[in-house]
This record gives sequence, C-alpha cells and structure tokens, in this order.
Amino acid sequence: MSDGAPSASEVDTGEWVLSVRGLGRVFGPLSAEAIAGTGPEVGTAKHGPTGTVVAAWDVDFDVAAGEALGVIGESGSGKSTVMRCIAGDLDATAGSVLLRRPDGSRVELLDMTPAERRALRVHDLSIVHQNPADGLDLRITAGGNIAERLTAAGWRHFGRIRERAAELLGRTEVPLVRMDDLVRDFSGGMRQRVQLAKALANNPSLVLLDEPTTGLDASVAAGVLDLIRSLLEDLGIAAVVVSHDFAVIEMLTSRCVVMHHGRVVEAGLTDQLFEDPHHPYSQRLVAAARA
Amino acid sequence: MSGDAPVAGPVLEVQDLTKHFVLHNVDGRRVEGLLGVDVSVHPGEHVALAGSSGAGKSSLLKCIHRTYAPSSGRVLLRRRDGSVVDLVTLPDHEMAALRGRELGYVSQFLRAQPRRTPLDIVVRAAVQRGMDRPAAHEVARDALTRLRLDEALWDVHASVLSGGERQRVNLAAGTVSPPRLLLLDEPVSALDPTNRDAALDLIAGLTDQGVAVLSVFHDLDAMERLATRVVVMAGGLVVSSGPPGDVLPGLMEVAR
Repeated sequence: MSDGAPSASEVDTGEWVLSVRGLGRVFGPLSAEAIAGTGPEVGTAKHGPTGTVVAAWDVDFDVAAGEALGVIGESGSGKSTVMRCIAGDLDATAGSVLLRRPDGSRVELLDMTPAERRALRVHDLSIVHQNPADGLDLRITAGGNIAERLTAAGWRHFGRIRERAAELLGRTEVPLVRMDDLVRDFSGGMRQRVQLAKALANNPSLVLLDEPTTGLDASVAAGVLDLIRSLLEDLGIAAVVVSHDFAVIEMLTSRCVVMHHGRVVEAGLTDQLFEDPHHPYSQRLVAAARA
Repeated sequence: MSGDAPVAGPVLEVQDLTKHFVLHNVDGRRVEGLLGVDVSVHPGEHVALAGSSGAGKSSLLKCIHRTYAPSSGRVLLRRRDGSVVDLVTLPDHEMAALRGRELGYVSQFLRAQPRRTPLDIVVRAAVQRGMDRPAAHEVARDALTRLRLDEALWDVHASVLSGGERQRVNLAAGTVSPPRLLLLDEPVSALDPTNRDAALDLIAGLTDQGVAVLSVFHDLDAMERLATRVVVMAGGLVVSSGPPGDVLPGLMEVAR
C-alpha cells in the first residue's frame, strides 16, 4: 500500500496465520518530516510543525496457529491503533496485513472491500472487546447473540443453532440455565464469557483480544483470564492480545512486542522481556510494574 | 539423518557464552553476568553448578533457556532427531515451541495458572511433550505420588497450595515424560527433609533414564548425592570442574 512497504508476494509468511509488515496509521498529512520527527527517540507521536499524529508506524510481527502474541504499551502507544487496523475498523496508511485462511489461501486484509471485510469478521477473524457492549447486543439473550453470528455464517437449522450455542456457552463456562437471559442482566465477567463464546462460534483463524479483562474486578478477571488461556491452548487458534497490563500479557502470551509513541521498541519472548528488557523504555515499564 | 538412532555427543554444549546487562535508567551502567562460559552435558549426566551467589549460575541457566538474551557465544542443543540448533540465534517463535518439549526449566517457583489443579498442570505438561491423555494421567499420578503430594490436593486450585506443595507440583510438571535436557534452579529449596529426600530421589531417577541435567542447588549435600560432575563458577566464569568427590571437599572447606 505504501512506498517502501514490501508487497505481499515478497513477504516470506511461512506458516504464519497473521503477518503484519510495515503497518502504519497517520492522522494528518503524511510526510518524511512527520515520520522522522516522531517516535520514542523524539518522545512524542505528534509532529509539532505539521500537527500530524503518527499513531503507529513500521509495525512488524507474525503469529502462528496456537500462538498468542502480546502487544503491550501505555495508552497512546499505538497498540489499539494497530488492533483496529488489523480488524478493519480503521484504515491503515501503510503496510500489509496477511491472514492465512484454514484452506491455506492468504488474503491481504488492508485491500478488502467492506463486503469482504464483513464476511471475514464472520468467518475468520473475531474480536473480543474490552467493553462487552461493543461485541454483544445487550438487549438480546446470550443464546441469541451467538445465534446471530452463526446465522451470519449461513446456519439455518434452529435446533442445531441452539445446540452449537449451548456447546459454546459450556466451553466458556456460562451456566446453560442463563442461555435465554438477556445479556444486559449478566455480570461483567459473564458478559465477557458470552463475548468469548460468540467470538469462537465459527472457529475463526485469528482472535484479537483488546484488554479482555480490564473492566473486571480482580477476582473475576482472574477467572476470565484463566478461561481464555485454556481456550487458546486447547483450540490452537492464533491470537493477538493487546493490553497495558503485564499480568495479562504474562499469563496469555509466549511472545510480545512493546509499543511506545507509535513504534515497536522491543520484540521478544515474554519471559525474556520481563526479566531482561533491553530498550530503555521497556526497562522503565518493567521496573514500574515490578515496583 | 537416521530418525531416532541414538546420537553420541552432548545434548547441550555451551561455548564461550557471555552476558552483560545495560541499565539504561541507571546512567547506562553495564553489569557483567557471564564472561565466557563453556560447559557441556551428555545424556545421563547430571552437572551441578557450584559457587557463591552472584557467580553466574542462575544467569547461565536463564541464558540457556533464553529467559535472558545471551550477549554472545553459542548454546548448542542436540534435538531428538539428532539435528543441532544454536539457541542463541534461534528465532523467538521456534524457541517458544522448543521450550517445555525438548528443553525443560524448573525454577524455585510454580509459574502456573492460579486456577488450575495440580493434576491438570502435570497432565498438561506430559501432553505437551507428546503423551496421549490416558498415559499422561498415569505418569502424572505417579509423579505426584512419588513426590508425596497429598491426593486430597490433586484437584484443588494451585493458588491455595503452600510453597512446598507448589514446588513439588512444579517439579512433577517439569519431570514427567522428561525432555532430553532439564535445567533445575533450586528445585527443592522450599521442601522439608522428608519431601526433599523424595524429590532428590526423583531427580536421581532422571539421570538413570538418560536425561541430561544441569542444576543449581544451594546445598552441597544435594550435589554430592546427584551430580556426576560439578562445575564451579566464580565471577561469571567456570573456575574448575570435576567429579563431586574431587571438587566438593574443597568447597566444603571454604564453606566452613
């Protein structure tokens, strides 16, 4: 899409489910000065002279099946921008995002038409939002929310839809007696479990988890985290976990990238990043979290 | 390459390994960890690292496991299929996939999900190393029994266990269907004498099975009982090595 970013055919994507290369999103006029005048070395994502905000730039990472990759950073670091560009909720300014489908074919997510993108979000790519209201219709039942995702994928048989919804709620530890309750009557933790069930409904290749436990009480968050980890381990899905919370990244991911002022400053094994951080910003972040 | 034919030579060969840390937020200060370490471990060998704290023993284990990123040198691991990989330069995702499967690391602390049960933790570890579930259950029960973990605790959340109980779960998970190379960092430090005895027996059994073990124990007694070779470190370097009978008396002298 941009000059300098490799085209899809040049990227060696191997067996990756997701390959992100040179991903960038800029608000305001794009210029070499704005890129050079922003980032961790400069200490800001906003280029003063032009007013351009470089929310994310030159972001690279890959995720394999059965692997969860973390994206960690403070608010304003660009991690949510990256997530929204992959999800298609925000147009990228530059880069490439390749997704491998279960049949082995690869699609460039940044070149999709709105209709293709809607189909992608039904079949191949699911998002678990921080706020359950962004992923669920709170006015309908738990079962109804899941049925909606299934019918979008072409399920028509009422009995089979009920059966599948019940199976998914079982997996995410939602009591079956609550299947026909309105989601707005659910607790925060239960809503997140329903959101997870809906996200898994059509066996997606990739799940994006955006601060999946941030709004929950600590004890409830621990249970939801535990569930997410077990699901990721058992289902072999590729996942990207975006969080500012070290405990979440530590629990769910084996590798992660650290973002700061719109750039990736460090990438590595999660335990290595916490025990032996290299970039000055990562060292500050780890020291603060351990304090 | 012939598939599963036994391969001669060390499972682990560490060559001229160095590690330093740069503390960017403490005036960019450089701290030396390892200054060029060579050590190798063969199948069925238990190499115990000795030396005072700060000598670099745990740093060495962490560099091999890549919990620390080595600064230079090589860490050659001979894999099941006989191929040799350098863990220093292995891509992160390949290292992540290798961990737990061909290379085990048992630390002092249980790093498991708080809401998993001891049995589930140990079963999952065996399954990760290629066992089917029924067999994994069997070896998990056997390991927890051998480590004397009360059966009443097998299906409670690990978060309610005591330090010593957690350490035994950790050791069980690290040693069921053991990987070819096992790194042990003070794995019995929280155990009372009886449980410690059982744990040391289990570790001795690994060596008999042909597992290559590289360990750090704080007490000379455990080293004397388990080690086939003792490697003494000081100041980030290997200063001497030999059979426990030759090396340990000198260390005991110093300790006294």
